[in-house]
Amino acid sequence: MTIEKFNYDNRIVRNFAVATIVWGIVGMLVGLIAALQIPFPNLNAGPLLTFGRVRPVHTNAIIFAFVGNGIFMGLYYSLQRLCKARMFSDKLSKIHFWGWQSIIVLAAITLLTGHTTGKEYAELEWPIDILIAVIWVLFGINMFGTIIKRRERHLYVAIWFYIATVVTVAVLHIVNSIEIPVSILKSYPVYAGVQDALVQWWYGHNAVAFFLTTPYLGLMYYFVPKAANRPVYSYRLSIIHFWALIFLYIWAGPHHLLYTSLPEWAQSLGIVFSIMLIAPSWGGMINGLLTLRGAWDRVREDVVLKFMVVAITAYGMATFEGPMLSLKSVNAISHFTDWTIAHVHVGGLGWNGMLTFGVLYWLIPRIYKTELYSKKLASFHFWIATLGILFYAIPMYWAGFTQSLMWKEFTTEGVLRYPNFLETVTQIIPMYKLRALGGFLYLSGTITMAYNLVKTMREGTLQANEPAEAPKLEALTMEPSGHWHRWIERRPIQMLLLSLVVILIGGMVEMIPTFLIKSNIPTIASVKPYTPLELQGRDIYIREGCYTCHSQMIRPFRSETERYGEYSKAGEFIYDHPFQWGSKRTGPDLQREGGKYPNVWHYNHLIDPTTMSPGSIMPAYSFMETDDLDTTSTGPKIRAMITLGVPYPKDYDKIANRDLQKQADIIALDLKKNGVGISSRKEIIALISYLQRLGIDIKATPISDTKVKL
Amino acid sequence: MSESKITTKTICYHCGEFCEEETILLEDKFFCCSGCQLVYEILKENNLCTYYSFEDSPGKTTKNKAIGFQYAYLDTPSIAERLILFKDKNSVHIRFHIPKMHCSSCIWLLEHLSRLDKGVLENQVNFIQKELFIAYDPKITSLRKIVELLDRIGYEPELNLEQIQQKNKKKQSRVRIYKIGLAGFAFGNIMLMSFPEYFSGGVYTGEDFRKIFGYLNLLLAIPVFFYSANEFIINAWKGIQQKIINIDVPIAIGIIAMFSRSTYEIISGTGAGFFDSMTGLVFFMLIGRNFQDKTYNWLAFDRDYKSYFPISVTRILKNNLEEPITISDLKVNDRIRIHHQEIIPTDSILLEEFASIDYSFVTGESTPVSCLKGDRIYAGGKLIGSTAIVIVQREVSQSYLTQLWNRGCEKEISTSYFQKISTAISKWFVLITLTIATTSAIYWYSLDINKSINAFTSVLVIACACALALSAPFTFGNMLRILGKNGIYLKNAFVLERLADVQTIVFDKTGTLTQLNTANISYHGDEISKKELEAIKSLAACSSHPLSKLLVKHLNSLDQKLCISNLVEYFGKGIQGTIDSHQYILGSSNLIQDSNHRDLNKKKLTSIFVKIDNRVLGSFQFTNHYRDGLKITINRLQNNNYNTAIISGDDEGEKIVLENIFNKTADIKFNQSPQNKLDYIKQLQKQNKKVLMVGDGLNDAGALMQSNIGLSISQDINNFSPACDGIVLDEQFNNLPALLNFAKSGIRIVIISFLISIAYNIVGLYFAVQGNLSPIIAAILMPISTSSLVLYTVLASSLKAKKLGLTK
Amino acid sequence: MSVILILIICSLLVSIGFLAAFFWSVNNGQYDDDISPAVRILNDDEMEDIDLTNKNK
Repeated sequence: MTIEKFNYDNRIVRNFAVATIVWGIVGMLVGLIAALQIPFPNLNAGPLLTFGRVRPVHTNAIIFAFVGNGIFMGLYYSLQRLCKARMFSDKLSKIHFWGWQSIIVLAAITLLTGHTTGKEYAELEWPIDILIAVIWVLFGINMFGTIIKRRERHLYVAIWFYIATVVTVAVLHIVNSIEIPVSILKSYPVYAGVQDALVQWWYGHNAVAFFLTTPYLGLMYYFVPKAANRPVYSYRLSIIHFWALIFLYIWAGPHHLLYTSLPEWAQSLGIVFSIMLIAPSWGGMINGLLTLRGAWDRVREDVVLKFMVVAITAYGMATFEGPMLSLKSVNAISHFTDWTIAHVHVGGLGWNGMLTFGVLYWLIPRIYKTELYSKKLASFHFWIATLGILFYAIPMYWAGFTQSLMWKEFTTEGVLRYPNFLETVTQIIPMYKLRALGGFLYLSGTITMAYNLVKTMREGTLQANEPAEAPKLEALTMEPSGHWHRWIERRPIQMLLLSLVVILIGGMVEMIPTFLIKSNIPTIASVKPYTPLELQGRDIYIREGCYTCHSQMIRPFRSETERYGEYSKAGEFIYDHPFQWGSKRTGPDLQREGGKYPNVWHYNHLIDPTTMSPGSIMPAYSFMETDDLDTTSTGPKIRAMITLGVPYPKDYDKIANRDLQKQADIIALDLKKNGVGISSRKEIIALISYLQRLGIDIKATPISDTKVKL
Repeated sequence: MSESKITTKTICYHCGEFCEEETILLEDKFFCCSGCQLVYEILKENNLCTYYSFEDSPGKTTKNKAIGFQYAYLDTPSIAERLILFKDKNSVHIRFHIPKMHCSSCIWLLEHLSRLDKGVLENQVNFIQKELFIAYDPKITSLRKIVELLDRIGYEPELNLEQIQQKNKKKQSRVRIYKIGLAGFAFGNIMLMSFPEYFSGGVYTGEDFRKIFGYLNLLLAIPVFFYSANEFIINAWKGIQQKIINIDVPIAIGIIAMFSRSTYEIISGTGAGFFDSMTGLVFFMLIGRNFQDKTYNWLAFDRDYKSYFPISVTRILKNNLEEPITISDLKVNDRIRIHHQEIIPTDSILLEEFASIDYSFVTGESTPVSCLKGDRIYAGGKLIGSTAIVIVQREVSQSYLTQLWNRGCEKEISTSYFQKISTAISKWFVLITLTIATTSAIYWYSLDINKSINAFTSVLVIACACALALSAPFTFGNMLRILGKNGIYLKNAFVLERLADVQTIVFDKTGTLTQLNTANISYHGDEISKKELEAIKSLAACSSHPLSKLLVKHLNSLDQKLCISNLVEYFGKGIQGTIDSHQYILGSSNLIQDSNHRDLNKKKLTSIFVKIDNRVLGSFQFTNHYRDGLKITINRLQNNNYNTAIISGDDEGEKIVLENIFNKTADIKFNQSPQNKLDYIKQLQKQNKKVLMVGDGLNDAGALMQSNIGLSISQDINNFSPACDGIVLDEQFNNLPALLNFAKSGIRIVIISFLISIAYNIVGLYFAVQGNLSPIIAAILMPISTSSLVLYTVLASSLKAKKLGLTK
Repeated sequence: MSVILILIICSLLVSIGFLAAFFWSVNNGQYDDDISPAVRILNDDEMEDIDLTNKNK
C-alpha cells in the first residue's frame, strides 16, 4: 500500500468565495433598489431600471450568483477533503468558475435590456440556457471525476446531497428550457398555458428544492460538525434524511398553482407531497441543531456557530411554513400577496444567507492560515443581519395578511369594500418602507463582512495548495465487502432497472410529440390565436416584466370574480407561449382587462399612471410612445407559433405584417379621435392591442358549456 | 451526565468511574488508577486530548485487567501469519476486534494511531463491528508493537483462538436493505400515480392517463412482489409444508390477493388496483422485521471454548529451547510452559513440585486448588504463582473443557416468527378470513358473478394480517432496544417471548448470587496489634493468591509497607517472611500445621491462618459476599410465584445463609458438577416446567444451554460468557423480576394491538363483503392502521419499561 | 395535462437513477458502519487541540 501526497486546491475555493461576496452585495443592492422602487415609483428610471426588469435581476443574482457561488465555494472545499483528493481537473474548475461568472454578467445585461423568457427564475434566453447547461455538465464531470479518484471509501452524506443537486438541477433546467428560438435573443417555450405553468412550477419549486436546499443541506452536514468540532448528532438519521428527501421533493411543485386552472388532482398531488416533506426536512433540522448539543456555550462565543444556528432555525421555519402555505385554505389567503415574499426571504436571508456567512467566516481564515480580522465586526454583522431579517419578514407578513383581507372584504350590501385595487396597495406602503429598511440593515451587514474578510485576507496569505496525504483507496477496498463482481451477481435488479429505464425512455420518445400536438388543439371554440399586433404587444408585456406585478389568473373566489370578472379557464391559455399567470399582485389582475377601458385610457395610463389612477406606484412607460415596434420579427414569430401548433393559416407569416399594420392603424385612429396624435408604428400601440385582447374571447360564451378537456 | 450521583465521590477524568482504591490528582484532573493516568499522559504528550472533547471521560478503566499479559508470541511469524489479512514488503494489513470501543472518542483516537506509532500507515474503524483495520509498515513497526500500544491505551484487541479460526468472517447480509429500498421507492412512485385516481374520483384525464399510470404502477409493483415480498411467501410456503400456519401465511395470502387482483384490474382496465396499499404494506412489514432482527452483532452469545483460550503457549523443545506455538497445534506429550495467570489450554500432567490452580471458571469454585507433581490438571484452570511446566495429555479438542461445551443440548431452536402467539392467532385469522371471503363470495354468486369474485378478493386484500406482521416485531424489537440500552442484552426477540412463560428460576451460586472478587472477611483468634496487621498486609501484598489480594483490599485502611526479608511463597498454600526479626507465615491450615501429607479432597481454603514465630494466632475467615438487595430480589420473584432453586459447585458451608435468603420453599443443591446441573435442569423440564437458568461460569454452560432460557451474569459484556440467550450486566441482576414482568407485558401489548387491528379489519370488511372496496378506502385504512399500531406498540412498551424502572 | 406525463417520466428516470445509486451504496458497504464516518470527517486537517471537557462542568 502506498501513501500518496497531494494538494487541496484552495485557490478555486477562494475565487468562489470572493464571487459569493461580490455578487451577494450586488444582488442585495439590486434587491434594495427594487424594494425602494415600490414605495417610491420615481426611482423607476427609464427602460433599463424599471421594477419589472430589476426584480428578475435581483432574484437571479441572489439565487444563481450569490447562493450559486456559495454552493460552489463550500462544495469545492468540502468535496476535496471528503474525498481526500484534489479536484479532478484544475482546468475544469477554472472553466466552471469563469463560465459561471460570465453567465451571471450576461444574465444581468440581457435582463436589464429586456431579453427575458418571462418564466420566473428561468428568465434567461436560450443562448444563455445552453451556456448554463454546458457549464453545469462540466462542473458535474469535475465533481464525479473527483469522487471517482477519491481516497476515502465512504461517501459522506454531504456528497450525496451534492450529487442530487448536480443531477436534478441539470434535468430540471433542460426540461424547463425546451424552447423554440425566434431570434438570437428571443424564443418561445414549446409548452403553452396550463402545461407551461405546470412545467414552470415543477421546475420553480424544485429549483428551490435542489438549488437552495439540498446543496445547502450538504454544506450543513459538513460545516456545522466542522465548526462545532463534534460529529453530527445522528449520522444514520442524516442518511435516511437524504433518501427520503430524494424520493419526495421532486413532486411538491404543483402547490404553487393552487386554485389556478391546473386540474384539481394535480393540485392535490402537490399538497400531499408538500405535507409529506415536513418529515424529512425537520429530520434534517433537528439533526443539525442537536449536533450542537453540549456545545451551546461555544455557540455563545463562536460567531460562526451563531450564524449556523440561525440558519438552521430559519430552515426549520421555512420548511414548516412551506407545507402550510400549500394547504388550500391558507394558500387562498397567502397567494399573490407579500406573504409569499416573506416566506421566501426567511428561506433566502435566513437559511441560505446566514449559512453562507457562517461558512465564509469559518473558511476564509483557514485557507489564509490566519485569524479572523475582527470578531467584533463579525458579531456586529450577525446581530444586524438577524435584525434585518426581522425587519424584513414581519412587515411583509403583515402586509400580505392585510392586503389579502382587504381584497376579500365585502360590505353588508354584498359588494367589495375596496373595489379600487389601489386602496389595498397604498394601505401597505409603510410596510414596504419598513421592508426596505430591513433589507438595508441586512445589506450593510454583508458589506461589513466583506470589509472584515478582505482585511483577513490581507493579513494572511492564501495557501493555494494545501498539502495532504492519504493512502490509495485499494488499501481499504481490500476488505471483503464492496467488490464490483458482487454487484454483477445482482443482475436481476440491474436488468430490472435497465428495462424500466428503457421502457420509460421509449415511452417518452413515443408519447411526447403526440401529446404536444394533441394538447394544442383548441378546446374552447371561441378562443382564437393572437393577432400579429397582439402577439408583438404580448412580447412587450413580457419584456417589461409586467408579470412581476400583474397576475393573469382569476381564482374561483367570489372576491375575485366580483373584482375582475369570470374566473380563468384552462382552455383560455392554449396559445400562451409562455403562460403569464404571475405569482404576485402588486397591481390588479389583468386576465379580463380587455375592453374594460378605452384605448386612450391605457395610453395615458402607460405614459403616466398617476394621471389615470392618482397614487399609483406603477412605473411610467413613456419611452414606448417614442420607440418604434420592430416588425421585422413578426414573420419568424408567427412561423415559430405555427410550428408549435398554433392554427394560423398556412404561410400566414408572410402576410402577418399587413394585418398587423391594419390593426395598428385602427387603434391609432381611435386614439386620434380621442385627441392623442401618435404614429401607429409605436410600441405602445401593440401593447394596448394586447391589453385590449386579454380575456375577451371567453366573455362571449357562458361558463356552463365551456367543456375544458386537457 | 450522572452529576447527581457523584456528589461525594470523585470520578476518574479518563474512565469516569468512581475513584475507590486510590485517587491520583494530575493538573486538576482526577484519575482512579495509574492505568488511566498513564493513558491520559500518553494522549497528552501526543496532543490527542481532543479524545476527551467528544464525550466526558470516554476511557475504559484499566484497573482489573489481567496483569503481565504477554504479546511476545506475536513476533513469531507462524502465529502472526494466522492473524494478518494481507502482507507485502512495505505494508501489512490486519483487522482487530476491539470490544472496548464504544463512542465517538474511541473512533477518533483509534483513527489517530499514526500519531502514536509512526509505522501505522492507515487505520479505519468499523464501529458497528467494533473492528479496527490497520495497515502498517513492517519496516518501522511490528504487530506486537501495535497490539501493545492498543493495550496500553486501553483498547486491547481480542486475540484468541477463535480469531484465527475465522479471520475473515463475512459481513451481515444486506438483502433486507435492498428489499426495503426497492419497496420504498416503488411505494412512493405508485402513490404518486395513484393519487390522481383518488383526488379526481377516477374521472380526471380520460382513459389514456389511467391506462398509462396503471401500467407504470404494475411495472413498479412487479419487482416488489417478486423480490421484496418473496420472504413472506417463501416462509408461508415452508410453513404450510410443515403443516404450520405461521404468521407469514395470512400475509402471503393478502399480498398475493392484492397483486393478482390489481394486475387483473389494470390489464382488464376495470380499475386502478391496490398496488399502493400492497407496496406500502410490504415496505412497512420489511421495516418491522428489520427493526426486530437488530442484534448486537458485536456481542457473541454463543462463543465457544476457542474464544476463551489464548492464541499460543510456550512449547519447550527437546533441546530445552522454547517457542511459541498456537494451541490448536498442540500434540500429546508436548511439554509446555504456563505462566502466571495463563490458562491451561488442555488436560495435562503437572511437572512442577507444586502449583495452585484457579478452577473458578470451570467449577465455579472461587478458591484455588493446590496440585503437586504428577497431578492431572484440567483445561480451563488458571495458573497462579510462578510458571509451571506441564505435559499435554489430550489435544485441545478432546479436553475436559471442550467436552463441557459439547455436552448434549436438546433445546429446540425456534425457526418461524413468534410461533407461540402468532401461529395460534394466524391459524384462526386465516380460517376466519377465508370463511368470510367464501361466504360473501357464495352470497353474491347467485346475484352477480363478478361481484362475488370481487368480494372474495376484497376480503383477502383488506384482511391482510398487517397487524400480526407488525405489532409483534415492533413491540419486541423496541423492548430489545430498551433492555440493550440498560445492560440487558438478549439474543433475539424470541427470548422475550419465552421469558414470558418461565415458571422456575434456577441460580448458580458463585459469581451469580455472590459478587466476584469480594468477600466478607472476619478475623478469629487472639488479639493482633496494629503493627502486626501492617506486617500481615505487607506480607500478603507479596502474594499473588486471590485470597491474599482480598486480604490486602480488606486491610487497605492501614497504609505503609514494611520491608520483608527472606520471603518464601508456597504457591497456593501460603507465604512466609521475616519482618523486623519476627517470622510471619500466612497460609492454609495444612501449611500452618506443616502437615505436608498431600490432601487433595480437602482442598478448600476459605481461611488464612496467621502464624508469628511458630505461634498460631488465628485466622482470617472468608465468607461469600452476596449481592446487595439479593434477598429483596429473590422474595419479589417468589411473590410473583416463581419457583426458585440453587445449584452450586461448592459444599454446604453456605447452606444456612442461603436458606434464610431463599426460605424453605427453594430447593438448594450443593456439590453439583456441571453434569449434575445439566441433569437437574433436564429433570425439571421432565415435569414440563419452563426453566430459566441464571449462571455465569463455564461450569453452568451445559445448564444454560439445556434450560429454556439461559441468562449469564457478567461484569463486562466483553468478558467471556458461556453460550446463553442473554447477557445481563452485573449491576442489573436486581432487575431480574422487572425483566420477567416486562416480557409478560410485552405479550399483553402484542395481543392488544391485535385487537386494535381487528377493529380496523372489521371496518374494511364492511366494505369488502359488499364487493365495493375501492382502492382509496384501502389506501386510507392501510396507513392509518399500520401507523397507529406501530405507535401504540412502541409507546406502550417504552412506557412499561419506564414504569418498571428498567430505563436509567 | 399531457405534459405531466413527461414530468412524471423524468422524475421516474431520475429517481430510478437514485435507486440504482442506493443499491450501489448499500452493496458497496457504504452503510455498514453508519457511525464512524461522522467522526472521520473531523480528522482530516490538523485540528487545533481544544480541550472542551472542563467547560462541560
